[in-house]
Amino acid sequence: MTDLESDDSLLLEFEDDDSESISNIDAPTDSKATHLDSDFANIPPHNVDTDDSEFDIDESQFSEDDLEDDYLVFPIKKTTKDLLDEDSLPSLKYECLTTQEIFDSMKRRVHHLQPVFSLPPQDILILMQRYDWNEERLLEEWTEKMDNLLIESGLNTSGESDGRGVKNGKEFFCPICCEEILTETFSLECGHEYCIDCYRHYIKDRLNHGKIITCMDCSLALKNEDIDQIMGGASSVKLMDSSIKSFIRKHSNSYKWCPYTDCKCIIHLKDTLSLQEYSRLHASRFVTCSMGHSFCFGCGFEIHAPADCRVTDQWVKKARLECENLNWVLSHTKECPRCSVNIEKNGGCNHMVCSSCRHEFCWICGGDWAPHGSSFYQCAIYKNEDKNKLVADTPKKTLRRYAFFYKMFTEHEVSAKLDWKLGETVGFKVKGLQEKIGVSWIEGQFLTESLKTLNEGRTALKWSFAVAYYSDPSHNLTKIFIDNQGLLSNAVESLSELLQIKSPEVIMKRRTEFYNKAGYVKNRTKALLECGRDLLRKGISKARE
Amino acid sequence: MSRAKRLMKELQAVRDDPAANITLEFISESDIHRLKGSFLGPPETPYQGGRFIIDIEVPMEYPFKPPKMKFDTKVYHPNISSVTGAICLDILKNAWSPVITLKSALISLQALLQSPEPNDPQDAEVAQHYLRDKESFSKTAALWTRLYASSNGGSGAPVEKEVDEARLYGIDPNLVKEFESQGFDKVKIVEVLRRLGIKSLDPTDNATINRIVEELLK
Ligand SMILES: [Zn+2]
Ligand SMILES: [Zn+2]
Ligand SMILES: [Zn+2]
Ligand SMILES: [Zn+2]
Ligand SMILES: [Zn+2]
Ligand SMILES: [Zn+2]
Ligand SMILES: [Zn+2]
Repeated sequence: MTDLESDDSLLLEFEDDDSESISNIDAPTDSKATHLDSDFANIPPHNVDTDDSEFDIDESQFSEDDLEDDYLVFPIKKTTKDLLDEDSLPSLKYECLTTQEIFDSMKRRVHHLQPVFSLPPQDILILMQRYDWNEERLLEEWTEKMDNLLIESGLNTSGESDGRGVKNGKEFFCPICCEEILTETFSLECGHEYCIDCYRHYIKDRLNHGKIITCMDCSLALKNEDIDQIMGGASSVKLMDSSIKSFIRKHSNSYKWCPYTDCKCIIHLKDTLSLQEYSRLHASRFVTCSMGHSFCFGCGFEIHAPADCRVTDQWVKKARLECENLNWVLSHTKECPRCSVNIEKNGGCNHMVCSSCRHEFCWICGGDWAPHGSSFYQCAIYKNEDKNKLVADTPKKTLRRYAFFYKMFTEHEVSAKLDWKLGETVGFKVKGLQEKIGVSWIEGQFLTESLKTLNEGRTALKWSFAVAYYSDPSHNLTKIFIDNQGLLSNAVESLSELLQIKSPEVIMKRRTEFYNKAGYVKNRTKALLECGRDLLRKGISKARE
Repeated sequence: MSRAKRLMKELQAVRDDPAANITLEFISESDIHRLKGSFLGPPETPYQGGRFIIDIEVPMEYPFKPPKMKFDTKVYHPNISSVTGAICLDILKNAWSPVITLKSALISLQALLQSPEPNDPQDAEVAQHYLRDKESFSKTAALWTRLYASSNGGSGAPVEKEVDEARLYGIDPNLVKEFESQGFDKVKIVEVLRRLGIKSLDPTDNATINRIVEELLK
């Protein structure tokens, strides 16, 4: 209901200021468009000065014709997973499940196993629980000691089911609550009988323990149907849920919860062996749940490439440790350095234009934007003022150095979050394309895909500062890495600016630019990730306490 | 409230069975959360002749959640903390069932005194003593029973005025004297020997002697 309402209002808004927005946006974009065109329209310039970089991408693959074809037929469809599955790495085989799905597959197994046991499914379910859902071990021990196994698991071997179940109300003294009242009771075949209230209390307390619930006075097991009969509802579902959860806890090598708040997804990694190969290569094993949340299977953190889990861990610890020393306010507004008017950041773009005096400056360093706009992104370089003096690192200097990298890291984090917000409007833009210009849904997807690419680029950029911080600054590869950061920064800023455009007509007109810039960001991201992994593999970047 | 009814019933059951030699009482009539229980040390164990007092806290969810129990009386036993009296016993944790009563729990504690489980220790120092030298362990446990659990002495009030620290932890007094003669402080010697779990020593075992001296010099 609320969704629909917000949809409407936003759509109305969209329609309302449409005519206005065209004039509004076209005016500044016209000048900007030429500026951007010169930089990017026909594929990034080849003369970027990272000549000797082995990580430079082959940009010749980006002839415009190719792009048109490829991307129109297959809208940029590569997911994060594909992007990160570098050729040298084994691909991760995993599936995304819920506890219900795991339980359903267990139930199918039970069905399968029935001819082996010739027991009712409920009983096999109890056996499976007892063996932590480990079918092989259960079958092994079943052939060895059938009868004992049944007794140990609390299954009635007498074959009678006399006396099992809820009994009608009667005058009853319950030894648990010590009340003598008219009440329903429950007992299993053992005859240990208690009032229904006590049984409910008892079961409720144990539903979340994930273990077989037995009679209060002996080891006979309560089956799911008993539990549901006593509780008067499908309470056994809760028990199965907690049982599956304890199963996941015990198999944390191959099962992991999606760390996103309130996400109920479980990632099941099918080949845990390939994990070792990943750590050997300083690569991280990123997975994406069916809700679209990506995270590192190794450390449960967000996607942190090019940093490996160790660098990530050290970096996060350090940030926590230093947070009091680092006094940056990660606000969404900044004062214009020229006229002091407060400007709110729009999307994640770091290219700020003051609404009052038209001054163009960089969000990160506050400096003029002009030098940033060239092929070299100044802001990605830490300018060491004491470059010429060969003095040992003083603690203050170390902190200043860290502060720089940390600031870059958080700025990109903030930008990524703002881009995410931008994403919410992309959906409406796509709708606008469909409704206004009659573009098909699939054709409109280039916007969504561009945004995704932008986010991946930002995340890589953000974590690259953790890797850079731990890198030997004098090593040539570190310099190449920084160059790569600069190139990706530029690419990302430029794509981010493009995504601010609101008018559907302008978006469609500049569609090729979207393809090109997104493609370029993708390739720059890949190059940066490869370079970062190389730094780690060669020990040039090493996480220290 | 069913919890009150149940507790009254439990107290009555204890009173009705004087042969068991178990006591169970509220600390104050106004508070049914707190009780004190006691039982006798089992015969033919180092705990024989002692009465052991147990502090009991009954949670709101009793009897669906277990009562909290700890020894008020100091006791030397692998599954009971010699410092806090905390108890390591499964029925007071995950193996609790609502059919277990305070009386049956006290009987289980009595049985625990009878048969220690040194592989699931609460007090590592005591457990090590038990595993390394059962006879020496028994002597120490019996000393503690005499000192802290004898019916005339009552809990916490030692009968003997001054207890030798070394004897209290089953350490050979001659070993302590040996190091004292080398100029080390007695308190420190006992502390180090306890930490290293050494109760007595073969005088030719130079490696261990060196280790002790090394610790003493720290
Ligand atoms: Zn009852
Ligand atoms: Zn029973
Ligand atoms: Zn998720
Ligand atoms: Zn990780
Ligand atoms: Zn301004
Ligand atoms: Zn800047
Ligand atoms: Zn930036």
